Amino acid sequence: MMFSYLFFKGCTIPASLPNVEKLALEVLPEIGINLIESDEFTCCPDPIRLKGANQYFWMSTAARNITIAEEKKLNIMTLCNGCENTLAIVNHKLKNNPALKKTVNEALKNIGREFKGTIKTRHFLQVLKEDIGLDHLKKMVKTPLTGLKVAGHPGCHLLMPNEILKFDNPVDPEFYDQYIEALGATPVDYLTKADCCGISLALAGDKEASSRCVKTKLIDMQLSGAQLISTACPSCFNQFDSGQLMASRDYPQLKEKPIPVLYGVELLALAMGRSLEDIGYNLHRVKIPIKIKR
Amino acid sequence: MKVLRLKYEKNEITKKNKAIEVCFKCSTCSKFCPITQHVKKYNLEDSFITQLFEAEKPEALNDVWMCCACEKCVITCPQDANPTEVFTNLKEKSYQEGLAPSIVYRLVEQLLQESTVYSIKFANMIRKRAGLKEVKKNEKAVKELNVLAEKTGLERKEVN
Repeated sequence: MMFSYLFFKGCTIPASLPNVEKLALEVLPEIGINLIESDEFTCCPDPIRLKGANQYFWMSTAARNITIAEEKKLNIMTLCNGCENTLAIVNHKLKNNPALKKTVNEALKNIGREFKGTIKTRHFLQVLKEDIGLDHLKKMVKTPLTGLKVAGHPGCHLLMPNEILKFDNPVDPEFYDQYIEALGATPVDYLTKADCCGISLALAGDKEASSRCVKTKLIDMQLSGAQLISTACPSCFNQFDSGQLMASRDYPQLKEKPIPVLYGVELLALAMGRSLEDIGYNLHRVKIPIKIKR
Repeated sequence: MKVLRLKYEKNEITKKNKAIEVCFKCSTCSKFCPITQHVKKYNLEDSFITQLFEAEKPEALNDVWMCCACEKCVITCPQDANPTEVFTNLKEKSYQEGLAPSIVYRLVEQLLQESTVYSIKFANMIRKRAGLKEVKKNEKAVKELNVLAEKTGLERKEVN
């Protein structure tokens, strides 16, 4: 059975992780997710800086993206925690608050659009959880990642607001570890699993604080015996990839034992028979060899 | 331990964020905030959240833009005061008054020129290396965003 979704690519993946975009289009249909592309989408817009600039504009632009899917009568699937955070919050608020919906539609009227509240938005992990099911995913895995110790990083933006996203336990998230297990690998436990990656500290100008934040997590991951990190948020991915390199300039313990990071879709691709070369591993910044049992 | 003193006058921020009134200054939020944890100038005695709530002109504090809405403060607050929502409103005020970091104004300009927060030209260079087709600027989408910007009062500011 195929689940069809309109593919919301966002900004970070098409611009800085294009191999992930390519992999998603190639591998997700193999596990039952049919992705339809659109060139009408704009930036979601992001739930941190553009939301802070003007909340009315933020809501209207997100609603505009949703109306594109409503016209095509398709649900949206995104690969980015930030995009899902924005789209889910706006979708939920407009569906449940008639006054807010009216205000946003007043803005959308000027571009010939109207938010109706007829579709759902999902992150790819939510599609796996709710549509495909992890048990079914496990059966579809071709090359289980047996023996691979993976430190899952759930990130922040798929967890809260919990009453809207309803995806995982925000205090002690467990879904990402279950996903790692379904692919045959071994999720490792570490103290700071639910901590923020800290990339926004660098984006706001404090690179030292950002390095300190990511280093705390990386040391914990080292101590837990992780061979790999995995996350399904592109910002967090960048923090653990180029961010790890930057932090290792200040912290020699990181330089001595680098841990590569794989995006959720890249990990899936490995479990579906692809090699490190196939997934575009050479485009990563931290690219030490990974032993995968075949 | 320094007590979190909230200015409970009915100023603009408290009017818009009624939840602050239930804050009883337990500082639990500060213990879990990554900004207080990792940014050198803050500590538990003098946390990011404390400094913001006590400032005369909180919207002038650039550091409010460090908040990425991880919502650890929201998860842990025993009173459901939702500090994150307050910070989003503070960001908005700081942006309107021209006090936000220049990167934010630049992002808005980029968005209103290409409908993306990345430069299409540079993205295409990276995409070519990965063997992906080019992204093309969608003129209609750009026009629509500019109309929305006008109708929603999104301020624009020229920055270098």
